Amino acid sequence: MHGIVEERLIVAETIEEARDALRQGRAVLAGGSWVMRAPVRGQALPERLVSVGRIAALSRVEVEENEYVIGAAVTHFALTEALRDVPQLTGLVTAAATSANPAVRRVATLGGNLCCVDFAASDFAPALLACGALVYLETAQGPATLPMAEFLARRAEVLPRALLTGVRVPRSVRASAHQRLPMRKAGDYPVAIVSMAICGGELHIAVGSVEPIARRWTVLEQALDGRTLNPERAAELAATLNDFKGRDGIEADGWYRREVLPALVRRCTAALLSGESK
Amino acid sequence: MSTTFQLNGETCRFDGDPMTPLIDLLRCQRFMTGTKAVCREGFCGACTVNVEGEPVLACLRPVGLLEGLSVMTIEGASRYDAEAQLLQAAFERVDAVQCGMCFPGMVMSLSKFLRETPRADRNAVKHAMVGNICRCTGYERIVDAVMECLAEAHSAGGADV
Repeated sequence: MHGIVEERLIVAETIEEARDALRQGRAVLAGGSWVMRAPVRGQALPERLVSVGRIAALSRVEVEENEYVIGAAVTHFALTEALRDVPQLTGLVTAAATSANPAVRRVATLGGNLCCVDFAASDFAPALLACGALVYLETAQGPATLPMAEFLARRAEVLPRALLTGVRVPRSVRASAHQRLPMRKAGDYPVAIVSMAICGGELHIAVGSVEPIARRWTVLEQALDGRTLNPERAAELAATLNDFKGRDGIEADGWYRREVLPALVRRCTAALLSGESK
Repeated sequence: MSTTFQLNGETCRFDGDPMTPLIDLLRCQRFMTGTKAVCREGFCGACTVNVEGEPVLACLRPVGLLEGLSVMTIEGASRYDAEAQLLQAAFERVDAVQCGMCFPGMVMSLSKFLRETPRADRNAVKHAMVGNICRCTGYERIVDAVMECLAEAHSAGGADV
Protein backbone atom coordinates (compact mmCIF):
# COMPACT_ATOMS: atom_id res chain seq x y z
CA MET A 1 0.00 0.00 0.00
CA HIS A 2 2.80 2.33 0.91
CA GLY A 3 4.41 1.79 -2.51
CA ILE A 4 1.21 2.76 -4.34
CA VAL A 5 0.94 6.00 -2.37
CA GLU A 6 4.61 6.76 -3.08
CA GLU A 7 4.09 6.56 -6.81
CA ARG A 8 0.95 8.59 -7.14
CA LEU A 9 2.72 11.90 -7.83
CA ILE A 10 6.21 12.35 -9.16
CA VAL A 11 7.88 15.72 -9.66
CA ALA A 12 9.74 15.95 -12.96
CA GLU A 13 12.90 18.04 -13.15
CA THR A 14 13.36 17.81 -16.93
CA ILE A 15 11.16 17.71 -20.04
CA GLU A 16 12.47 14.19 -20.77
CA GLU A 17 11.36 12.92 -17.35
CA ALA A 18 7.91 14.43 -17.84
CA ARG A 19 7.61 13.02 -21.35
CA ASP A 20 8.59 9.55 -20.14
CA ALA A 21 6.08 9.73 -17.30
CA LEU A 22 3.38 10.75 -19.77
CA ARG A 23 4.26 7.74 -21.89
CA GLN A 24 3.77 5.55 -18.81
CA GLY A 25 0.21 6.83 -18.54
CA ARG A 26 0.60 9.55 -15.95
CA ALA A 27 -1.56 12.67 -16.14
CA VAL A 28 0.26 16.00 -16.22
CA LEU A 29 -0.15 18.23 -13.17
CA ALA A 30 0.67 21.91 -13.66
CA GLY A 31 -0.65 24.50 -11.19
CA GLY A 32 -3.43 22.18 -10.08
CA SER A 33 -6.15 24.85 -10.05
CA TRP A 34 -8.34 22.88 -12.50
CA VAL A 35 -7.62 19.26 -11.62
CA MET A 36 -8.06 19.87 -7.89
CA ARG A 37 -11.71 20.77 -8.53
CA ALA A 38 -12.45 17.28 -9.80
CA PRO A 39 -14.17 16.16 -6.57
CA VAL A 40 -16.65 19.08 -6.59
CA ARG A 41 -17.43 18.26 -10.22
CA GLY A 42 -18.16 14.70 -9.16
CA GLN A 43 -15.06 13.39 -10.93
CA ALA A 44 -12.12 11.38 -9.65
CA LEU A 45 -8.62 12.81 -9.54
CA PRO A 46 -6.19 11.03 -11.89
CA GLU A 47 -4.65 7.96 -10.29
CA ARG A 48 -1.03 8.74 -11.26
CA LEU A 49 0.39 12.15 -12.04
CA VAL A 50 3.58 13.92 -12.96
CA SER A 51 4.14 17.50 -11.87
CA VAL A 52 5.85 19.78 -14.44
CA GLY A 53 5.93 22.97 -12.36
CA ARG A 54 9.58 22.60 -11.37
CA ILE A 55 10.97 22.12 -14.87
CA ALA A 56 13.10 25.22 -15.34
CA ALA A 57 12.92 25.04 -19.14
CA LEU A 58 9.12 25.34 -19.01
CA SER A 59 9.12 28.35 -16.68
CA ARG A 60 10.83 30.90 -18.92
CA VAL A 61 9.58 33.85 -20.91
CA GLU A 62 12.12 34.86 -23.54
CA VAL A 63 12.21 37.45 -26.26
CA GLU A 64 13.91 36.08 -29.36
CA GLU A 65 14.60 37.78 -32.66
CA ASN A 66 11.29 36.80 -34.25
CA GLU A 67 9.19 35.44 -31.39
CA TYR A 68 8.21 35.70 -27.78
CA VAL A 69 8.72 32.27 -26.22
CA ILE A 70 6.49 31.44 -23.25
CA GLY A 71 6.96 28.18 -21.36
CA ALA A 72 4.00 26.01 -20.44
CA ALA A 73 4.67 26.28 -16.69
CA VAL A 74 4.68 30.09 -16.69
CA THR A 75 1.93 31.28 -14.36
CA HIS A 76 -0.55 34.00 -15.23
CA PHE A 77 1.25 36.27 -12.75
CA ALA A 78 4.69 35.53 -14.15
CA LEU A 79 3.52 36.17 -17.71
CA THR A 80 2.02 39.49 -16.65
CA GLU A 81 5.26 40.53 -14.93
CA ALA A 82 7.47 39.44 -17.82
CA LEU A 83 5.53 41.08 -20.65
CA ARG A 84 3.75 44.05 -19.07
CA ASP A 85 6.17 46.47 -20.77
CA VAL A 86 5.58 45.06 -24.25
CA PRO A 87 2.78 47.30 -25.57
CA GLN A 88 2.21 45.10 -28.64
CA LEU A 89 1.12 42.24 -26.35
CA THR A 90 -1.35 44.24 -24.27
CA GLY A 91 -4.10 41.78 -25.27
CA LEU A 92 -2.21 38.72 -24.05
CA VAL A 93 -1.07 40.47 -20.88
CA THR A 94 -4.64 41.58 -20.16
CA ALA A 95 -5.80 37.97 -20.59
CA ALA A 96 -3.21 36.84 -18.04
CA ALA A 97 -3.80 39.71 -15.62
CA THR A 98 -7.61 39.63 -15.46
CA SER A 99 -8.53 35.95 -15.54
CA ALA A 100 -9.96 34.22 -12.44
CA ASN A 101 -8.66 35.93 -9.27
CA PRO A 102 -5.22 36.85 -7.88
CA ALA A 103 -4.71 33.66 -5.85
CA VAL A 104 -5.54 31.46 -8.85
CA ARG A 105 -3.33 33.58 -11.16
CA ARG A 106 -0.37 32.92 -8.85
CA VAL A 107 -0.49 29.16 -9.48
CA ALA A 108 -2.45 28.60 -12.72
CA THR A 109 -0.19 28.16 -15.74
CA LEU A 110 -0.40 28.90 -19.43
CA GLY A 111 -0.02 25.22 -20.28
CA GLY A 112 -2.59 24.09 -17.75
CA ASN A 113 -5.05 26.61 -19.11
CA LEU A 114 -4.64 25.43 -22.70
CA CYS A 115 -4.72 21.74 -21.79
CA CYS A 116 -8.08 21.89 -19.98
CA VAL A 117 -10.10 20.48 -22.84
CA ASP A 118 -13.44 21.07 -21.12
CA PHE A 119 -12.68 24.66 -20.13
CA ALA A 120 -14.46 26.87 -22.65
CA ALA A 121 -13.82 30.16 -20.84
CA SER A 122 -10.03 30.22 -21.21
CA ASP A 123 -8.71 33.76 -21.66
CA PHE A 124 -5.45 32.56 -23.17
CA ALA A 125 -7.09 30.63 -26.01
CA PRO A 126 -8.63 33.64 -27.85
CA ALA A 127 -5.71 35.93 -26.96
CA LEU A 128 -3.19 33.50 -28.46
CA LEU A 129 -5.43 32.75 -31.46
CA ALA A 130 -5.59 36.46 -32.25
CA CYS A 131 -1.81 36.79 -31.95
CA GLY A 132 -1.17 33.88 -34.33
CA ALA A 133 0.67 31.81 -31.72
CA LEU A 134 2.20 28.42 -32.37
CA VAL A 135 1.94 25.63 -29.79
CA TYR A 136 5.04 23.53 -29.05
CA LEU A 137 4.74 19.92 -27.97
CA GLU A 138 7.14 17.17 -27.00
CA THR A 139 6.09 13.77 -28.29
CA ALA A 140 7.62 10.30 -28.30
CA GLN A 141 8.76 11.05 -31.86
CA GLY A 142 10.35 14.35 -30.85
CA PRO A 143 9.23 18.00 -30.86
CA ALA A 144 6.09 18.99 -32.78
CA THR A 145 4.47 22.31 -33.60
CA LEU A 146 0.82 23.11 -34.18
CA PRO A 147 -0.95 26.37 -35.03
CA MET A 148 -3.13 27.45 -32.12
CA ALA A 149 -6.44 26.73 -33.92
CA GLU A 150 -5.35 23.21 -34.84
CA PHE A 151 -4.12 22.54 -31.32
CA LEU A 152 -7.46 23.63 -29.84
CA ALA A 153 -9.39 21.47 -32.28
CA ARG A 154 -7.21 18.35 -31.81
CA ARG A 155 -5.99 18.65 -28.22
CA ALA A 156 -8.23 15.92 -26.78
CA GLU A 157 -6.68 13.48 -29.23
CA VAL A 158 -3.10 14.88 -29.07
CA LEU A 159 -2.52 15.54 -25.37
CA PRO A 160 -2.57 11.97 -24.01
CA ARG A 161 0.61 11.39 -26.02
CA ALA A 162 2.21 14.84 -26.05
CA LEU A 163 3.59 17.25 -23.46
CA LEU A 164 2.80 20.89 -24.15
CA THR A 165 6.09 22.74 -23.62
CA GLY A 166 5.06 26.28 -24.52
CA VAL A 167 3.85 28.74 -27.10
CA ARG A 168 5.60 31.14 -29.44
CA VAL A 169 4.03 34.46 -30.34
CA PRO A 170 5.37 36.14 -33.48
CA ARG A 171 6.93 39.55 -33.03
CA SER A 172 5.00 40.66 -36.11
CA VAL A 173 2.14 41.45 -33.69
CA ARG A 174 1.90 45.24 -33.83
CA ALA A 175 -0.98 45.80 -31.42
CA SER A 176 -3.49 43.70 -29.49
CA ALA A 177 -6.45 44.02 -27.14
CA HIS A 178 -8.60 41.72 -25.01
CA GLN A 179 -12.10 42.29 -23.67
CA ARG A 180 -13.96 39.91 -21.38
CA LEU A 181 -17.41 40.03 -19.81
CA PRO A 182 -17.79 38.30 -16.44
CA MET A 183 -21.14 38.48 -14.62
CA ARG A 184 -19.46 40.17 -11.68
CA LYS A 185 -16.88 42.88 -12.29
CA ALA A 186 -14.13 40.30 -11.87
CA GLY A 187 -13.30 36.98 -10.29
CA ASP A 188 -15.57 34.60 -12.20
CA TYR A 189 -15.67 33.00 -15.63
CA PRO A 190 -16.37 35.38 -18.50
CA VAL A 191 -19.62 35.03 -20.43
CA ALA A 192 -17.81 36.00 -23.62
CA ILE A 193 -14.34 37.14 -24.65
CA VAL A 194 -13.16 39.07 -27.71
CA SER A 195 -9.44 39.33 -28.51
CA MET A 196 -7.99 41.32 -31.38
CA ALA A 197 -4.50 41.68 -32.78
CA ILE A 198 -2.88 43.28 -35.78
CA CYS A 199 -0.35 40.78 -37.09
CA GLY A 200 1.79 41.69 -40.06
CA GLY A 201 -0.82 44.21 -41.24
CA GLU A 202 -3.79 41.81 -40.84
CA LEU A 203 -6.56 42.21 -38.27
CA HIS A 204 -7.23 39.01 -36.34
CA ILE A 205 -10.35 38.65 -34.19
CA ALA A 206 -10.90 35.67 -31.88
CA VAL A 207 -13.83 34.82 -29.64
CA GLY A 208 -13.72 32.70 -26.50
CA SER A 209 -16.27 31.31 -24.05
CA VAL A 210 -19.21 31.65 -26.47
CA GLU A 211 -18.77 28.27 -28.15
CA PRO A 212 -17.11 25.23 -26.54
CA ILE A 213 -13.84 25.97 -28.34
CA ALA A 214 -12.44 29.45 -29.02
CA ARG A 215 -12.18 30.39 -32.69
CA ARG A 216 -11.32 33.20 -35.08
CA TRP A 217 -14.22 35.34 -36.35
CA THR A 218 -13.13 35.16 -39.97
CA VAL A 219 -16.24 36.66 -41.59
CA LEU A 220 -15.87 39.75 -39.43
CA GLU A 221 -12.14 39.93 -40.13
CA GLN A 222 -12.85 39.84 -43.87
CA ALA A 223 -15.57 42.48 -43.63
CA LEU A 224 -13.26 44.82 -41.73
CA ASP A 225 -10.20 44.09 -43.82
CA GLY A 226 -8.87 47.17 -45.55
CA ARG A 227 -11.31 49.53 -43.84
CA THR A 228 -10.36 52.18 -41.36
CA LEU A 229 -11.11 50.64 -37.98
CA ASN A 230 -13.96 52.30 -36.17
CA PRO A 231 -15.49 50.88 -32.96
CA GLU A 232 -19.12 51.68 -33.88
CA ARG A 233 -18.80 50.36 -37.41
CA ALA A 234 -17.05 47.22 -36.15
CA ALA A 235 -19.92 46.61 -33.69
CA GLU A 236 -22.54 47.10 -36.43
CA LEU A 237 -20.80 44.56 -38.64
CA ALA A 238 -20.42 42.19 -35.67
CA ALA A 239 -24.20 42.30 -35.15
CA THR A 240 -24.83 41.57 -38.85
CA LEU A 241 -22.21 38.83 -39.18
CA ASN A 242 -22.76 37.05 -35.89
CA ASP A 243 -22.32 33.38 -36.84
CA PHE A 244 -21.74 32.03 -33.32
CA LYS A 245 -23.84 29.34 -31.65
CA GLY A 246 -23.74 30.21 -27.96
CA ARG A 247 -23.27 27.42 -25.46
CA ASP A 248 -25.64 27.22 -22.52
CA GLY A 249 -23.84 27.28 -19.19
CA ILE A 250 -24.19 28.08 -15.52
CA GLU A 251 -23.07 31.71 -15.97
CA ALA A 252 -25.27 32.48 -18.97
CA ASP A 253 -27.50 31.07 -21.69
CA GLY A 254 -26.14 30.67 -25.17
CA TRP A 255 -28.27 33.45 -26.67
CA TYR A 256 -26.87 35.95 -24.18
CA ARG A 257 -23.24 35.03 -24.88
CA ARG A 258 -23.97 35.65 -28.58
CA GLU A 259 -25.90 38.85 -27.93
CA VAL A 260 -23.05 40.61 -26.10
CA LEU A 261 -20.50 40.06 -28.85
CA PRO A 262 -21.11 43.31 -30.79
CA ALA A 263 -20.62 45.36 -27.61
CA LEU A 264 -17.41 43.49 -26.82
CA VAL A 265 -16.22 44.03 -30.40
CA ARG A 266 -16.86 47.77 -30.02
CA ARG A 267 -14.93 47.88 -26.74
CA CYS A 268 -12.10 45.73 -28.06
CA THR A 269 -11.74 47.84 -31.21
CA ALA A 270 -11.59 51.00 -29.11
CA ALA A 271 -8.97 49.38 -26.86
CA LEU A 272 -6.95 48.25 -29.86
CA LEU A 273 -6.99 51.76 -31.32
CA SER A 274 -6.09 53.41 -28.04
CA GLY A 275 -3.43 50.86 -27.11
CA GLU A 276 -5.23 50.03 -23.89
CA SER A 277 -7.21 47.00 -22.82
CA LYS A 278 -8.81 45.67 -19.63
CA MET B 1 5.99 9.98 -1.22
CA SER B 2 6.79 12.04 1.85
CA THR B 3 6.48 15.81 1.73
CA THR B 4 8.30 18.08 4.15
CA PHE B 5 7.65 21.81 4.38
CA GLN B 6 7.59 24.61 6.92
CA LEU B 7 4.20 25.29 8.49
CA ASN B 8 4.06 28.52 10.48
CA GLY B 9 7.79 28.23 11.07
CA GLU B 10 7.81 24.60 12.15
CA THR B 11 8.75 21.53 10.15
CA CYS B 12 5.73 19.58 8.89
CA ARG B 13 6.14 16.12 7.39
CA PHE B 14 3.26 14.51 5.53
CA ASP B 15 3.29 10.86 4.49
CA GLY B 16 -0.21 10.58 3.05
CA ASP B 17 -1.62 10.96 -0.45
CA PRO B 18 0.35 13.78 -2.14
CA MET B 19 -2.83 14.93 -3.94
CA THR B 20 -4.47 15.73 -0.59
CA PRO B 21 -5.56 19.38 -0.70
CA LEU B 22 -3.58 21.48 1.77
CA ILE B 23 -6.87 22.62 3.33
CA ASP B 24 -7.63 19.05 4.47
CA LEU B 25 -4.19 18.57 6.01
CA LEU B 26 -4.53 21.86 7.89
CA ARG B 27 -8.02 21.33 9.21
CA CYS B 28 -8.27 17.56 9.65
CA GLN B 29 -4.76 16.60 10.71
CA ARG B 30 -3.24 19.73 12.19
CA PHE B 31 -6.57 21.02 13.56
CA MET B 32 -5.82 24.49 12.26
CA THR B 33 -9.43 25.42 11.66
CA GLY B 34 -8.80 29.11 11.06
CA THR B 35 -8.45 28.31 7.37
CA LYS B 36 -12.00 27.72 6.12
CA ALA B 37 -13.10 25.14 3.56
CA VAL B 38 -16.07 26.67 1.73
CA CYS B 39 -16.40 26.44 -2.06
CA ARG B 40 -13.42 24.13 -2.67
CA GLU B 41 -13.03 25.42 -6.20
CA GLY B 42 -11.04 28.62 -5.90
CA PHE B 43 -13.89 31.11 -6.10
CA CYS B 44 -14.46 32.25 -2.52
CA GLY B 45 -10.96 32.76 -1.06
CA ALA B 46 -11.92 31.53 2.43
CA CYS B 47 -9.05 29.02 2.42
CA THR B 48 -6.33 31.52 1.43
CA VAL B 49 -2.94 30.82 3.00
CA ASN B 50 0.51 32.12 2.14
CA VAL B 51 2.95 29.83 0.35
CA GLU B 52 6.41 31.36 0.11
CA GLY B 53 4.76 34.62 1.15
CA GLU B 54 2.23 34.56 -1.71
CA PRO B 55 -1.51 34.23 -1.02
CA VAL B 56 -2.80 31.04 -2.66
CA LEU B 57 -5.84 28.82 -2.21
CA ALA B 58 -5.35 25.84 0.11
CA CYS B 59 -8.27 23.97 -1.50
CA LEU B 60 -6.45 23.87 -4.86
CA ARG B 61 -2.94 23.17 -3.57
CA PRO B 62 -1.92 19.51 -3.42
CA VAL B 63 0.36 18.87 -0.44
CA GLY B 64 2.76 17.01 -2.75
CA LEU B 65 3.72 20.28 -4.45
CA LEU B 66 4.85 21.91 -1.20
CA GLU B 67 8.18 20.09 -0.76
CA GLY B 68 10.73 22.49 0.73
CA LEU B 69 8.34 25.45 0.76
CA SER B 70 7.09 27.68 3.56
CA VAL B 71 3.38 27.84 4.42
CA MET B 72 1.78 30.44 6.70
CA THR B 73 -1.83 30.10 7.87
CA ILE B 74 -4.02 32.61 9.70
CA GLU B 75 -2.82 31.06 12.97
CA GLY B 76 0.78 31.86 12.11
CA ALA B 77 -0.01 35.26 10.61
CA SER B 78 -1.83 36.26 13.81
CA ARG B 79 1.41 35.65 15.71
CA TYR B 80 4.13 36.67 13.29
CA ASP B 81 2.72 39.04 10.65
CA ALA B 82 2.41 42.70 11.71
CA GLU B 83 0.13 43.65 8.79
CA ALA B 84 -2.17 40.72 9.52
CA GLN B 85 -2.44 41.87 13.13
CA LEU B 86 -3.24 45.42 11.99
CA LEU B 87 -5.98 44.10 9.72
CA GLN B 88 -7.50 41.87 12.38
CA ALA B 89 -7.69 44.79 14.81
CA ALA B 90 -9.20 47.09 12.18
CA PHE B 91 -11.81 44.50 11.11
CA GLU B 92 -12.89 44.17 14.72
CA ARG B 93 -12.91 47.95 15.27
CA VAL B 94 -15.16 48.73 12.29
CA ASP B 95 -17.34 45.67 12.95
CA ALA B 96 -16.50 44.08 9.61
CA VAL B 97 -16.69 40.51 10.90
CA GLN B 98 -20.01 38.70 11.14
CA CYS B 99 -20.09 34.96 10.46
CA GLY B 100 -16.29 34.81 10.23
CA MET B 101 -16.01 32.46 7.27
CA CYS B 102 -14.36 34.90 4.88
CA PHE B 103 -12.35 36.88 7.41
CA PRO B 104 -9.20 34.68 7.73
CA GLY B 105 -8.87 34.47 3.94
CA MET B 106 -9.33 38.23 3.62
CA VAL B 107 -6.55 38.82 6.15
CA MET B 108 -4.22 36.42 4.33
CA SER B 109 -4.91 38.06 0.95
CA LEU B 110 -4.72 41.62 2.19
CA SER B 111 -1.72 41.49 4.55
CA LYS B 112 0.72 41.07 1.68
CA PHE B 113 -1.16 43.76 -0.27
CA LEU B 114 -0.93 46.12 2.69
CA ARG B 115 2.80 45.50 3.03
CA GLU B 116 3.54 46.04 -0.65
CA THR B 117 1.03 48.72 -1.58
CA PRO B 118 1.05 51.31 1.21
CA ARG B 119 -0.31 54.06 -1.07
CA ALA B 120 -3.28 52.07 -2.35
CA ASP B 121 -6.66 53.73 -2.93
CA ARG B 122 -10.08 52.14 -2.44
CA ASN B 123 -10.20 50.89 -5.99
CA ALA B 124 -6.86 49.10 -5.61
CA VAL B 125 -8.08 47.50 -2.39
CA LYS B 126 -11.18 46.23 -4.19
CA HIS B 127 -9.03 44.76 -6.96
CA ALA B 128 -6.89 42.97 -4.36
CA MET B 129 -10.07 41.48 -2.83
CA VAL B 130 -11.45 40.12 -6.10
CA GLY B 131 -10.94 36.52 -4.99
CA ASN B 132 -12.41 36.90 -1.50
CA ILE B 133 -16.16 36.71 -1.18
CA CYS B 134 -18.15 37.94 1.85
CA ARG B 135 -21.87 37.16 2.19
CA CYS B 136 -22.55 38.98 5.48
CA THR B 137 -21.37 42.47 6.21
CA GLY B 138 -20.72 43.84 2.75
CA TYR B 139 -17.50 44.90 1.19
CA GLU B 140 -17.50 48.63 1.89
CA ARG B 141 -16.94 48.15 5.61
CA ILE B 142 -14.12 45.74 4.91
CA VAL B 143 -12.56 48.26 2.54
CA ASP B 144 -13.01 50.91 5.27
CA ALA B 145 -10.96 48.72 7.60
CA VAL B 146 -8.17 48.31 5.05
CA MET B 147 -8.14 52.07 4.40
CA GLU B 148 -7.80 52.64 8.15
CA CYS B 149 -4.80 50.33 8.20
CA LEU B 150 -3.23 52.18 5.29
CA ALA B 151 -3.79 55.51 7.05
CA GLU B 152 -2.26 54.08 10.25
CA ALA B 153 0.77 52.88 8.35
CA HIS B 154 1.20 56.38 6.86
CA SER B 155 0.96 58.14 10.18
CA ALA B 156 3.36 55.63 11.80
CA GLY B 157 5.83 56.15 8.97
CA GLY B 158 5.70 59.97 9.17
CA ALA B 159 4.63 62.56 6.63
CA ASP B 160 6.11 62.91 3.18
CA VAL B 161 8.50 65.82 2.79
